[in-house]
Amino acid sequence: MITGVGVRAEVRWVRADLRARRGQALLTVIAVAGIVTALITAATLLEDGTNPWRGLFERGRGAHVWIHTKGAPNVPALRALGGVTDVAGPYRSAPATLADHGRKVPIALQETTAALPSVARPLLREGRWLDVRHPDGVVVEQSFAKALGLHPGSPFPVTGLNGATHTLTVAGLAESGDQGFYPEWTPGLAWTLSSTLTMVEPAPGRTESVTGLRLADAGYTDIVVQQAVITLRNQVQRVSTWREVRASMELDNRLLGLLLALFGLAGLVAAALALANATGGRVLTQLRDIATLKSLGFTREQVTRMLVAEHGTLGLLGIALGLVAGRVITAYALSDTVVVPLSSGPLVAITAGTALVVLVAVWLPAWRGGATPPIPAAPAAPPHGRLSRLARVALLVRLPPALVLGARDAFTRPTSAILTLTGVAIPMMMITIGLGCWATLDGFIRHPEQVGQAAALSVRPGDLTASEALGRAMADPDVVTAYPGVELDALVPWQTRTVRTRALGLSSDPYPFPVAEGRMFRDRGEAVAGQGLLDLLGLRIGDRVRMTIGGTPLIVKIVGRVIEPEQDGEVLSFGVDSLAAKDATPPQFYSLVLRPGADAGEVRARLQAQALEVDQAVNPADRLSVIRVIIVALVVVLALIGLANLLTASALGLRDHLLDLAVLKAMGLTPRQVMATLVTGTGLVAMAGVVLGGSAGAFLSKGLIDLEGRGSGVGAGIGRAPTPGMLAGALLVAIGATLLVALIPARRAARARVPVTAR
Amino acid sequence: MIRAIGLVKIYQTGGLPVPAVRGVDLVVEPGEFVAIMGPSGSGKSTFVHMLGGLETRTSGEIWLDGKRADTLSESGWAVLRRQKVGFVFQFFNLVTNMTVADNVELPALLGGASPKHARERREYLLAELGLEERASAAPGQLSGGEQQRVALARALANQPRLLLADEPTGNLDSRNTRDVLKLLGKVHRQGQTIVLVTHDARVASMADRVVSLLDGQIVDDAPIARIQRRPGGTAGDIVELRG
Repeated sequence: MITGVGVRAEVRWVRADLRARRGQALLTVIAVAGIVTALITAATLLEDGTNPWRGLFERGRGAHVWIHTKGAPNVPALRALGGVTDVAGPYRSAPATLADHGRKVPIALQETTAALPSVARPLLREGRWLDVRHPDGVVVEQSFAKALGLHPGSPFPVTGLNGATHTLTVAGLAESGDQGFYPEWTPGLAWTLSSTLTMVEPAPGRTESVTGLRLADAGYTDIVVQQAVITLRNQVQRVSTWREVRASMELDNRLLGLLLALFGLAGLVAAALALANATGGRVLTQLRDIATLKSLGFTREQVTRMLVAEHGTLGLLGIALGLVAGRVITAYALSDTVVVPLSSGPLVAITAGTALVVLVAVWLPAWRGGATPPIPAAPAAPPHGRLSRLARVALLVRLPPALVLGARDAFTRPTSAILTLTGVAIPMMMITIGLGCWATLDGFIRHPEQVGQAAALSVRPGDLTASEALGRAMADPDVVTAYPGVELDALVPWQTRTVRTRALGLSSDPYPFPVAEGRMFRDRGEAVAGQGLLDLLGLRIGDRVRMTIGGTPLIVKIVGRVIEPEQDGEVLSFGVDSLAAKDATPPQFYSLVLRPGADAGEVRARLQAQALEVDQAVNPADRLSVIRVIIVALVVVLALIGLANLLTASALGLRDHLLDLAVLKAMGLTPRQVMATLVTGTGLVAMAGVVLGGSAGAFLSKGLIDLEGRGSGVGAGIGRAPTPGMLAGALLVAIGATLLVALIPARRAARARVPVTAR
Repeated sequence: MIRAIGLVKIYQTGGLPVPAVRGVDLVVEPGEFVAIMGPSGSGKSTFVHMLGGLETRTSGEIWLDGKRADTLSESGWAVLRRQKVGFVFQFFNLVTNMTVADNVELPALLGGASPKHARERREYLLAELGLEERASAAPGQLSGGEQQRVALARALANQPRLLLADEPTGNLDSRNTRDVLKLLGKVHRQGQTIVLVTHDARVASMADRVVSLLDGQIVDDAPIARIQRRPGGTAGDIVELRG
């Protein structure tokens, strides 16, 4: 009987309350929507960044299955298979080699049409597509072109199996979701016109046919592959599916995932804070009305339910709006980078997570509202406002009275002061942690040697001998040192998988690994490891580990831990001389340390001209660059939330002080002094919050990022606190904004005529 | 109708017990108009709040319509209030966000009436109180007297068995006081049971019976003879009564 009856009355009250404060309600909705939008955009960008296959495949209407056959297959039979919606090709494909600075790189030439095909369409990124008027043009797969330094207009000298060389020209670069990135996926791919292919490879017996099948549902892949193999009987040479392509493109970056999770959490906390503050502030200003409602016969449960319904609906509305906005932003504003909307897993997690946070954040103040005693006339307990001794001294030494009164106000109501303080401090702390992440990324770029990238380039001898390659590399004026290196996979007992070992430099002259704990290896049989490897094998510094490399057993003692951004930290590094001679000589590559300030790209180009195969190290910060976008977005949202919290606080402060203001004015304070009193009252607490949050964030960020580094296998030791300049700037901006926001209601209050009756 | 037996309220202020009401026995018959008088701090407001369940009693019993009410939970009291008790306060206590019409309809809706019935009842009450013009105004736009008349309409929306009024005229000027008192007299004549707290003797003189509280105890409980309100009454009448 208690519940159920009177729902109409609750609805009536909620409607009236929403109507009375449209602006505030809108702010709440926007704050929550902003957070959800930021989370969705960030997650979509991240998903797209770490798994580019989805976007490429969707945009190019890729084929799920590629069938390589000797001759042209029976296309109508393939098309008739259940689940197949479209067929790409069959295209002829021929193996060839590309002459690149004196070495030969195997490539696959694939026939295509002058008009872009509708299925399995390469996505042109640079230059132009093939044209029948320019039969010597080829379009090169982008990652392959980047690895070889090819641009539109570059010569493309191709040698067919018959030994004849044809000088083709790169017409354009394209991406494709039908083939993995080079060098993980070889051979490199180039698209040509049918006539060009025939010119390079005139013998029909040396080409194969590739046919793509696009399926209605990726889940049919296995069945379709089976059926296709049966249908084509002995014709099939090999089959590749989208799963292999995706696996080769996926960037398994745990650090990125963990950083994003941290920001997601920060966003959720911020959402909770914004809502709890908005609801709490609203409930506090309404206590009198709520008491009246109870005197009319509203029960405690009804009041709680009503408040949860009202504020929860606003929050949920914000979530819905945020979902829509997130989709719209990723679909339109970011249409160049993102094609596929967020997959359902993270979407559901974000929605459910925020919904839960919204309901909890709203329930707490609503419960407080429900517990209001039903005596409407009960006066608010007067604050224990005594002028402290300090304040009296301040007045005696003629500090402005407004400052003294404001300072007194700031701390006479501990509950509201703490609310304001946390409402400002927590967003500020999160912002500072975000700045710490930013500083960490900057650190990666400015000091690559601190993340194990002292060598910007590595050269592989290719067709040269190792000593020739070393000689040519060292001849470059910008190359300071070259360390011989070998990367091998090692079998470790009790592990079903191999781990990467890296022999680099000599034990007597080790590569400058960034040692975070322990020491660098100095002798044969000593090694340093990344955090990921220590975790994987359950090892500690000082332990010995036995492994088998290329059939040869090797026992090394781990003497230190290094910052290891590769392979999620699951790498063991030691000197080349620790390896058996058969594995160590000749070295696979030389890591080149450049002169400080040298441009790695230029050196690379010079060395490439010397017929060397050169790889440039990818800085982890470049891979994490999407984080920067997310940091900026979250800082904006957090700043808005902090300011919204402050607005609530100053509105509450104003309500508490209206009567006092009348007295102050009667005592002879000018409007400006009244204003100063109010600004000091909220501003002091808020400034304390800014400073507290900023210092806590600066203090915590290094540790938190190190924690993330440890969890991701890279290892602790990467974290940076925000730079002093950055921190000071953030604090100044925050304090300025704080005072401005405190000024808005204060100005209004100072001008307004103050009522003298109790409402 | 309503019966209080040995009602006691003791506040704990800073650990010290401060008795506000100390053992009050009172019986109000149906249709009776009782005024409770006393100086500030005599416990009259606390007593009336306890009768309506706004405050819990420390000890004693409250019976409403033959049923014991003091043992009810907070929610039980809330339901009882919405069905049987109307409140009018000194500071009107209209819900500031809601229009006059919504304020008056709220108790009816809360009691489970249909929106149509609630609207009809509101239209009738506002017309009775001469406020039909102000139905869509916000409480802040009304004068004190108007606000108190709206509060009265709201208190009567559910046709409560008992109307509790806590200094309803304490914040009004004499003209508005007269208007509100006239309305109270009118509903009383229609059979409404009223318990009214006041420290104004003129207001108390409207009642059938005046109960005087001092320091939380009843010091006087005297019916007022009808003759007193008869026009043309003389000083002799009063002398006779008091005697």
